[in-house]
Amino acid sequence: MSIARVLAVARRIAQGFRRDERTLGLVFVVPIVVTALLGWVLRDQMDATVRVAVAGAIADQAAQSRLETIAAESGIDLEVRSLGLNASIEDVRAAVRAGRADVGILIPIQYGGPPAVQVVTEGADPAAESGMMGALQMLLLRAFEPSGSGLLNGPPTFRHETVYLSPDADTLDVLAPVFLGYFGYFFVFLLTGISFLRERVGGTLDRLLATPVTRVEIVLGYSLGFGLFATLQVIVLTLFVLARIDVPAIGPIPAFTIGLDVQSVGNPVLAFFVALVLSLGAVNLGVFLSTFARTELQIIQFIPLVIVPQGLLGGIFWPVDRLPDILQVVARALPMTYAVDGLREVMLKGAGLGSAVVQGDLAVLAGIAVLFVALAAGTIKREVA
Amino acid sequence: MSASAAAIEAEGLHKTFGSIHAVDGIDLALQPNRVYGLLGPNGSGKTTLIRLIAGLARATAGEARILGTRMPSRPMLRRIGYMPQAEALYPELSVRENVAFFARLEGAVSNDAIDRVLELVELGDRRGTPAMHLSGGMRRRLSLACTLVHEPPILFLDEPTVGVDPALRVQFWAHFRRLAAAGTTILVASHVMDEADRCDELLFVRSGKVIARGTPTELRQGAGTTDLEAAFLHYAGLDAEGRPLVASEP
Ligand SMILES: Nc1ncnc2c1ncn2[C@@H]1O[C@H](COP(=O)(O)OP(=O)(O)OP(=O)(O)O)[C@@H](O)[C@H]1O
Ligand SMILES: [Mg+2]
Repeated sequence: MSIARVLAVARRIAQGFRRDERTLGLVFVVPIVVTALLGWVLRDQMDATVRVAVAGAIADQAAQSRLETIAAESGIDLEVRSLGLNASIEDVRAAVRAGRADVGILIPIQYGGPPAVQVVTEGADPAAESGMMGALQMLLLRAFEPSGSGLLNGPPTFRHETVYLSPDADTLDVLAPVFLGYFGYFFVFLLTGISFLRERVGGTLDRLLATPVTRVEIVLGYSLGFGLFATLQVIVLTLFVLARIDVPAIGPIPAFTIGLDVQSVGNPVLAFFVALVLSLGAVNLGVFLSTFARTELQIIQFIPLVIVPQGLLGGIFWPVDRLPDILQVVARALPMTYAVDGLREVMLKGAGLGSAVVQGDLAVLAGIAVLFVALAAGTIKREVA
Repeated sequence: MSASAAAIEAEGLHKTFGSIHAVDGIDLALQPNRVYGLLGPNGSGKTTLIRLIAGLARATAGEARILGTRMPSRPMLRRIGYMPQAEALYPELSVRENVAFFARLEGAVSNDAIDRVLELVELGDRRGTPAMHLSGGMRRRLSLACTLVHEPPILFLDEPTVGVDPALRVQFWAHFRRLAAAGTTILVASHVMDEADRCDELLFVRSGKVIARGTPTELRQGAGTTDLEAAFLHYAGLDAEGRPLVASEP
């Protein structure tokens, strides 16, 4: 193998990129825009007022104001309206169905025994509603607790601490590190797939095979060339995700912040390395799959096949060990699973290169990359006949 | 003609694509210092023959040898230059970057060699232009430059002068003759009769077979004409207006 020829191929890729501003924009600007959007959506979500319709025992003036006080103490924005002491469960359902309330609560007036609380919600947004249910249960428990009596002296207070990060870490802090890997994977796959397809269709691959360059040299040159771009991309994204630059208000422009200021205890260089090894697999997957495409559109059509399942099963949103059995097996075969695990270990838990988990993830990712180098090289034939 | 002295040899070369016999039993022994012309109608198998000899496609039967080595052979690839019929360039790379890229793949090639070959194809003043901004003939010239840059002793040129203007075409042929005089073996596929006339020897291919070979003069005599174009029509089995001659199986 000749290093000079590998470098020649890598250099040719870099030279091609230099004149392609659109792709450069795609590689550097788009991931930042998408990550920023994600940060915006997750960070600055409106805390919507929860509208509660109450009926029965809870509908009297005293109970209502007690509920509102406790809600205010817990930082929940509650708007309570009474349907009356004698309202029935039907009235409560009607209020929710008509959109006049997000939650309806009926506590039938009864004598003796614990109250049986009936709660009605829309059922159109299970995730939000189950969160709401938890908060409501807490509120109702406290509202019903006779203060200064029983086992507890007054209502309990909570202090929450976490082993990693801090308790006020939000979804973005957990998602942003793995998005580094996911974006790198996506763009590198897309770019190499298209680039290699052009090489096959445009006849340059055939022409290359009339020179002493070997298939492995071509594939390694591609890995190096696109690896370089993955490197730059991951660096830019890492900086964006971790940094926080406050820009003060200037004239009519209000103050704003550049960067997501995501909490991280980890070593960004190691995180970057995990993302890079993942990208090398993506380069060779792109080369490999370009055999099965005839047009650039067909490369795009591989996205639902390659990129989406990795996003769903790789553990970005739902932990792999909570997936159904069969899907767990699938997930364990996806490089994204190991990259997500490695990135979280490093960025959230502060694991170093000495960590067995990180070493394991890196080893699997490297193994997958090598496998795809071999597969990719195998698809470069002297002849398509 | 001893077989060992031949630079390019083929024995019983066959290539089929499905039911098509693109190359149908060709034997060759081509000597150094000579320019060989490959003539024949569209689809007669010229490109396929070149690709088989250069080791870019695998023969269905038979074998090809270059400098005594059986093809395909990677070490031999360094000693051959192949100019494909459709140019294979990187459109977003500049003229010079394209040549330099192929030069690097062929092994260490000096900047001087790159500049020389760019002067030869008269693209010296366009070295910075991206290949996609070149005219059709200029792209052809660039493709030739990429083929010649490592100064290979064996050259396969598949219609090298299509779209190249007459002045430059004359210069190209002068250069091919110089290369041949210096020991290069050249096999050129062409449809230009005036170019065929500059070859030392012609091979006329039809339906995958070499049906006539000899110097241009010999081919003209064999066809009983004084005009190479008329000879082409004769060997292709056509009359003077390009219509098939009935019952003229050569
Ligand atoms: N990759 C391929 N797959 C299938 N058939 C092919 C392939 N390449 C060539 N052929 C067929 O082989 C025959 C010879 O083609 P070839 O390209 O060698 O002709 P040619 O003499 O170079 O023609 P031209 O003068 O048009 O360049 C044709 O019938 C062609 O259709
Ligand atoms: Mg041809």
